[in-house]
Amino acid sequence: MSSQSEKERDKNTAPNTPPKVEMRVPGQRGPNRMIEKEKPKEGKKTLLRLIRYFQAEKNMVCLLLGVVVVLVLCSVYAPKFQSSAIDRIASREFSALPKILGVMLVLYGIQGVCTLLQGLVSARLSQRIVKKMREDLFEKIVNLPVRYLDNHPHGDIMSRMTNDVENISNTVAQSIGSLVSGVLTIIGTVVMMVYLCWKLAILSCVTVILTVLATKYLSTKMRSFFRSRQILLGKLNGTVEEMVTGYKTVVAYDHQDQVIEEFEKTSGELTRVGIIAEIFGGSMGPVMNVINNIGFVIIAAFGGYFAIHGQISVGVISAFIVYAKQFGRPINEIAQLYGQIQTAVAGAERVFAIMDEDDEDKSGTHTMENAKGVISFRHVDFSYIPGKQVLYDFDLDVYAGHKVALVGATGSGKTTVVNLLMRFYDIDSGEIQIDGTNIRDIDCGVLRRNTAIVLQDTVLFSDTVRNNLKYGRTDATDEEMEQAAQMSNCRNMIHHMEQGYDTVLTQAGQNLSQGQRQLLAIGRAFLADPKILILDEATSSVDTRTEKRIQDAMVNLMKDRTSVIIAYRLSTIQDADYIVVMDQGRIVETGNHEELIAQKGRYYELYMTQFAGNAT
Amino acid sequence: MKKYLKKYWLYTVLAPLFMIGEVLMDLIQPKMMSTIVDVGVLGIGNNGVPDLSLVIRTGLQMILLVAFGGFCGVMAGVFSNLSSQNLGNDMRKDVFRRTMMLSFQQTDQFTTGSLVTRVTNDITQIQNMVMQCIRGFVRNLMFFAGGIFCMATLDLSFGAVVACAFPIVLVCVAFFLSKVNPLFSQLQKKLDHVNSVMQENIAGARVVKAYVREEYEEERFGKANGDLVDTQLHILTLISFMSPIMNIVLNASAVAVIYVGSIRVQEGGVTPGNIMAAITYLSQILNSVMMFATIFQNISRGMASYRRLEEVLVCEPAIADGGGAKTDVKGKVEFRNASFSYPKSNGEAVLKKINLTVEPGETLGILGATGSGKSSLVQLIPRFYDVTDGQVLVDDVDVKDYKLKDLRSKVAITLQKSELYSETIRENLRWGNPKASNNEICRAAAAAQAEEFILRQPEGYDTMVAEKGMSLSGGQKQRLSIARALLKNAEILIMDDSTSALDLKTEAKLYEALKEGYPQVTRIVIAQRIASVKDANRIAVIDNGQIVDCGPHAYLMEHCEIYRDIYQSQLKGNPLEEEQKETVENE
Repeated sequence: MSSQSEKERDKNTAPNTPPKVEMRVPGQRGPNRMIEKEKPKEGKKTLLRLIRYFQAEKNMVCLLLGVVVVLVLCSVYAPKFQSSAIDRIASREFSALPKILGVMLVLYGIQGVCTLLQGLVSARLSQRIVKKMREDLFEKIVNLPVRYLDNHPHGDIMSRMTNDVENISNTVAQSIGSLVSGVLTIIGTVVMMVYLCWKLAILSCVTVILTVLATKYLSTKMRSFFRSRQILLGKLNGTVEEMVTGYKTVVAYDHQDQVIEEFEKTSGELTRVGIIAEIFGGSMGPVMNVINNIGFVIIAAFGGYFAIHGQISVGVISAFIVYAKQFGRPINEIAQLYGQIQTAVAGAERVFAIMDEDDEDKSGTHTMENAKGVISFRHVDFSYIPGKQVLYDFDLDVYAGHKVALVGATGSGKTTVVNLLMRFYDIDSGEIQIDGTNIRDIDCGVLRRNTAIVLQDTVLFSDTVRNNLKYGRTDATDEEMEQAAQMSNCRNMIHHMEQGYDTVLTQAGQNLSQGQRQLLAIGRAFLADPKILILDEATSSVDTRTEKRIQDAMVNLMKDRTSVIIAYRLSTIQDADYIVVMDQGRIVETGNHEELIAQKGRYYELYMTQFAGNAT
Repeated sequence: MKKYLKKYWLYTVLAPLFMIGEVLMDLIQPKMMSTIVDVGVLGIGNNGVPDLSLVIRTGLQMILLVAFGGFCGVMAGVFSNLSSQNLGNDMRKDVFRRTMMLSFQQTDQFTTGSLVTRVTNDITQIQNMVMQCIRGFVRNLMFFAGGIFCMATLDLSFGAVVACAFPIVLVCVAFFLSKVNPLFSQLQKKLDHVNSVMQENIAGARVVKAYVREEYEEERFGKANGDLVDTQLHILTLISFMSPIMNIVLNASAVAVIYVGSIRVQEGGVTPGNIMAAITYLSQILNSVMMFATIFQNISRGMASYRRLEEVLVCEPAIADGGGAKTDVKGKVEFRNASFSYPKSNGEAVLKKINLTVEPGETLGILGATGSGKSSLVQLIPRFYDVTDGQVLVDDVDVKDYKLKDLRSKVAITLQKSELYSETIRENLRWGNPKASNNEICRAAAAAQAEEFILRQPEGYDTMVAEKGMSLSGGQKQRLSIARALLKNAEILIMDDSTSALDLKTEAKLYEALKEGYPQVTRIVIAQRIASVKDANRIAVIDNGQIVDCGPHAYLMEHCEIYRDIYQSQLKGNPLEEEQKETVENE
């Protein structure tokens, strides 16, 4: 708000300064003067790296620079013609006028074309770099190890992708032009001023620099108000978000009055601080206006003095007023740019931090042709965080085509086994083998293509049902797909959808029920036709009928495959070839259902607890 | 809107007045400058004798006027802020207050996300609009009208130049705005698409990797990204044209002013100083035209926001206080032919003619498939929704006859999604009873099986709960919200599937503790697992919005086929000792 009115003022008082069109583009963050600036840690290094992105667009950068130079020349030179035109009028040499005006028109024409070119080129430049950078970052993210994604908040990664990248490219692409034109304009203007009248030039420079310093001082002073307003605003928005989304609870506890009271307190406080901040912010404009104008009056007065003494002509005064504006503007702009560039570089640092992460280790060359699907874990130790071991000396053999169930409480390490088998994480020591080959030696893509997982939280993509099903095998025929859908009990459901297999799942399938999503995921695994199957059984609240369909689909899926089941339900366990009971990262019991029941050990205990549904 | 403006009318009137003062000073300035040049320097009217003292005198006058203008500007800022922000504050409070009074039916219709936007973003838009109106609008109108007036007083021929340039600027602004505006919504869509691809890949990294689809995803992203960039480029290109065209018009007009001026100087109508002043006015006028474009955009945005707010403000709470009936019965719930349908569901009933009585102190289990209407049923009790037909009675009185406060103090309900707030655990629990002593809090926490993990938190009961309870596991959140409900000491405790994330052992202990510690409370327990409700006095089996059967476990096993089915499937697939919804990875 305040920065807007400030700009407004700038424009209105400036004679002949080109109006700047401000338009907000959604998703594109405009520079905001009042927001606190971030400082990058390794500014120089990051900046150099950023520049490398621009190197790829060398031609465009050169074009941009060329255009800027012409532009600056025009804007420095044009006022001189205006001044001489007025001088001619003052001295009544009217015959010379048309020529001067003609030149002015040409200059302004060139200026206009160059402004256009600058706009076009920097738009293209910034968008190309944004595109490239986003692609690079995305490629990186896709290839990051799961460990990284597990340990970093997704929102944070998202914001680097969207906000930071956008911010960087816009700022940098804009600032190249502004920086160069700023510096050139300052030099050009000073040269012109000195050429016209050096005394007045010194005077103007001093006034302008004082003005700039005053601006800087005031805006620093104000920043703390805007900061506290920002904090309050955040608090207010947080309260609203929390209370409106949690409205049922608010009502259930009849807390409306307290909530309203608290809200009104924050809201009032925000208004109070906001008014102070905005008044100060809004005062900047008029105050600057006064200071600027005093500067112009001084120039006019002294100019008048010099003119009376015949040292300069009247036209020079008019030119000086234009020049003083021209001189002050880039100084302010460069000061602002500095802050913006700092923020952008800090953003770039965050982006590069991700790019510098190591890719997933996908080494390994062995293929898995004619694989039988024998899995063996040999003395596997593993920890997510060093020092907090999750698996201890884990030993397990799964024969080809067998069905193995992992049972145990939360935190016993069941899911970890999946993470290791898929090489989402690499083990600390020991060895995992498939058909006798260490999985580290198997080509990672081959390993994963031969192993399908059905996860607890079903992940689908905002794409057609067809593409979702064929996700594991793009070359599958439609017949194969329909067969897989049949086997996984989702054929009926798909046929009920409006466009059958071409129905697009919106919001990654959030419009489907949990059960439907799960069936699709099973269908997807079917079509992938893996040697090894990992089922992380879902336990979410699906109704009993859907539950049954899912169970049946899973049984179908497991036929003739080596399967590892992270078990929550007994139905799939009872006919498993082998049940592994885990506790705190160790195997405590193994055997099939009957054996384990007969043992009357941990498994028996678990089983009885549920069977009775009572505390034991 | 009037109502709000009225309260701050003084500020609202003073702001533009001061603004007029400021603009007037700005408008006088070029004239004075022209006096300096013409009279002071060129000595026009003084036979060509320059007058230095006049230059200095006028200069000082100018500084004074400028300072006065600055003062007016600051005051205009003060009053416009006082007006717009206070007005915004009042509206914000009203909207929020109204939001907190709406019935769920109404909040469902608005959707929570949109309500949040209305209270936060829309208010800001309106503040901006008011600010723009009383400040920007007046200011630019003054510049526009004043500029034209001043120019015309200098010489009518200058007016002609403006008259030519003005329509060009206007057409140009209108043209680009109409071109660019529709592209914005398109841009937003493409941006959303890029974000969603991104989101899917981060959240679904395991699946992408498991199916080795990294390259495919890169391609998919590349397409979405390319689309976005193209649209953005399109917009930026259009915008790039606007500024240079404006510049050319402005500068060409300046040239025209000089040319026309020179002719008039020859005729003796104007002075060189006049020409300089005219150029300044010219830029002021054309700039104000451009600014109007921005202002109108803001105003239309603000009006849209205002309409959205008004929708909330005029929304009368659908569920209102009853007559304030009193009763001596404690803890009885009765449904009489109760039917219910959600307003958007095309009249398809969620609950059909439910008849059910829960006696004081009884424990009733409710079992049924997802979507069978269990939650809807219990939400009728505290009047979260009203029946569409029939009656719900609490303690033998129709719920509609109670004051809402009285009714809701009788009922404690824990919801499927446990909502906690970013306060300390203790403060969260105190929601149940703001006056609860620490002893009471501990007792409730212990009964809800929450005490153990609370004490394990770094600061025990004073540990902050992160936003939306993110620092806690699903089971922990459920236990906290049960403790909170217990603290309320209500006659009726409703647990809507709120132990689903607890392992069976803990769940069993919890129900045991409830039975012992709060025997007089009527309990209604919705569950997915038979084990959770097996020991209830009676279990109501709901299917498709109807009560199929109701009785103790043994009775149902014998008589109710659906119950037997559920039992069979759950016995076969009984959940193991698991805190189901918690994942292991990050532990």
